[in-house]
Amino acid sequence: MATAESASAIQRNQVDLLDFIDWSGVECLNQSSGHLLANALKQGYREDEGLNLESDADEQLLIYIPFTQVVKLHSIVVKGSEEEGPKTVKLFTNRQHMGFSNVNDFPPSDTVVLSPDNLKGKPVVVKYVKFQNVRSLTIFIEDNQSGSEITKVQKIALYGSTVETTDMKGLKKIEEH
Amino acid sequence: MVLEATMICIDNSEWMRNGDYAPSRFQAQADAVNLICGAKTQSNPENTVGVLTMAGKGVRVLVTPTSDLGKILACMHGLEIGGEMNLAAGIQVAQLALKHRQNKKQQQRIIVFAGSPVMHDKKALEVIGKKLKKNSVALDIVNFGEDDEGKTEKLEALLAAVNNNDTSHIVHVPAGPNALSDVLISTPIFTGDGEGGSGFAASAAAAAAGGVSGFEFGVDPNLDPELALALRVSMEEERARQEAAAKKAAEEASEQDATMTEHASEGPSGADNKKNEIPDDDNTLLQQALAMSVDEPASTQDLQDTEMSDAAAEDPDLALALQLSVQESTKDSSSEADMSKLLADQSFVSSILASLPGVDPNDPSVKEMLASMQNQSESQQKQDEDKAPEKKEEKEEKEEK
Repeated sequence: MATAESASAIQRNQVDLLDFIDWSGVECLNQSSGHLLANALKQGYREDEGLNLESDADEQLLIYIPFTQVVKLHSIVVKGSEEEGPKTVKLFTNRQHMGFSNVNDFPPSDTVVLSPDNLKGKPVVVKYVKFQNVRSLTIFIEDNQSGSEITKVQKIALYGSTVETTDMKGLKKIEEH
Repeated sequence: MVLEATMICIDNSEWMRNGDYAPSRFQAQADAVNLICGAKTQSNPENTVGVLTMAGKGVRVLVTPTSDLGKILACMHGLEIGGEMNLAAGIQVAQLALKHRQNKKQQQRIIVFAGSPVMHDKKALEVIGKKLKKNSVALDIVNFGEDDEGKTEKLEALLAAVNNNDTSHIVHVPAGPNALSDVLISTPIFTGDGEGGSGFAASAAAAAAGGVSGFEFGVDPNLDPELALALRVSMEEERARQEAAAKKAAEEASEQDATMTEHASEGPSGADNKKNEIPDDDNTLLQQALAMSVDEPASTQDLQDTEMSDAAAEDPDLALALQLSVQESTKDSSSEADMSKLLADQSFVSSILASLPGVDPNDPSVKEMLASMQNQSESQQKQDEDKAPEKKEEKEEKEEK
């Protein structure tokens, strides 16, 4: 029941937050040079199954996404392959310039363990109270499904709403994959 | 012009006492560090550079990343040599120092001077390298000094682990006549990745290539454009003045006092040689020359005679002016004759030579030289009395002198 409600909530008033991402400040640590974050985030690239974000030196990834305005985050979608897709994902709000060394210094705003369903595109709803006032989001991908050296992410999508105004024109019906 | 924060890791271990790099490994390293700091701060004013030492009692950060070049150079003073280099700890401390840099937008870079043998094994270095790559820190390695078994291999492995898209480099500098800094200037460590410090590097390379650089006047237009422009302008003004002076000397040779033209042509030749004047116009210079000739006729002439002979060899216009002034002025030729007479006076010369330590006037080679000088001065006197402009021969005479 909860999931049905949340699924309809997505359809009702949640927007793809892609438009509110401040692209000049987007950073990703440990990404492999041929497979950048844009492959997973940007419109068009993220729909292409052949274009993935891949990790480089080891299986962890640290993604920093600032927004152009304050947003409320409702849910996220992380798509990847069954073996090399991410498993444990920690979300931090409003922390700048995190590094791999201080990810464990403070508790995450939310921790998500992705199931194979999620990897196919089912959105994961995040803890409501923690994501009411989000200026920036840090996504820490800790490991992947099979424990391989490289983590591959095909798509990352964020759904939520803005705090200042609810733009009626921006409302879109989000299809579930 | 990459915005960068750099940490330089200096090796101040006992191995740095060795003198196979002039004057000592440590000094060569210090010079290279100074050069790098200058290049980094110049390529982008917001760049910061920090320095730490890896040997001694332990890894010690001398200065945290700062853009103040004076502070960086000052901390290089009074460094002591001793202990053993701890490469792993040095790199890790450098990474930590970079992590806490003030401007998070700066790219992180570590430059390591590895002069002594590397104690750690390849695996440990590769782990360190991977950690650097994961945190997007670039690493430049300067491999110099000791070359024991495996050191090069280990450093290459470290570089391979760190390298991400060719942002990291390694340079092997063998001992030899070239200074460490000179070798480094042409490497990507200085030139950045493509552009960046290339302006500074080019000028530094020119200066290092030995005194007189490829640039006119030995001053780089990049380093000091105003000075280079001023020098060029004054050079052209002098050329114009010399031509005017030569014409004047030809016209007014019989009328004016020849010493005046000599001084007038001396003025430009003096400026030509020294390149430190920007004279206003012909008149003021001539006035000055007149005043000079009135005040100190004798002494200045002697000085300027020798200068004249040097200048004459270089500039044909000036030589012409000098020829004419020499012909017209009896005073002039007499003073020259005086000098050559003095030189011809063998007793005078031998007394001078006797006073010089280590010269025996009775030595046959010295006598030979005296004889040749005497012949030369005699032939010169003959030419003076001829009063026929024999430009080439006299030029050769003066050049021989």
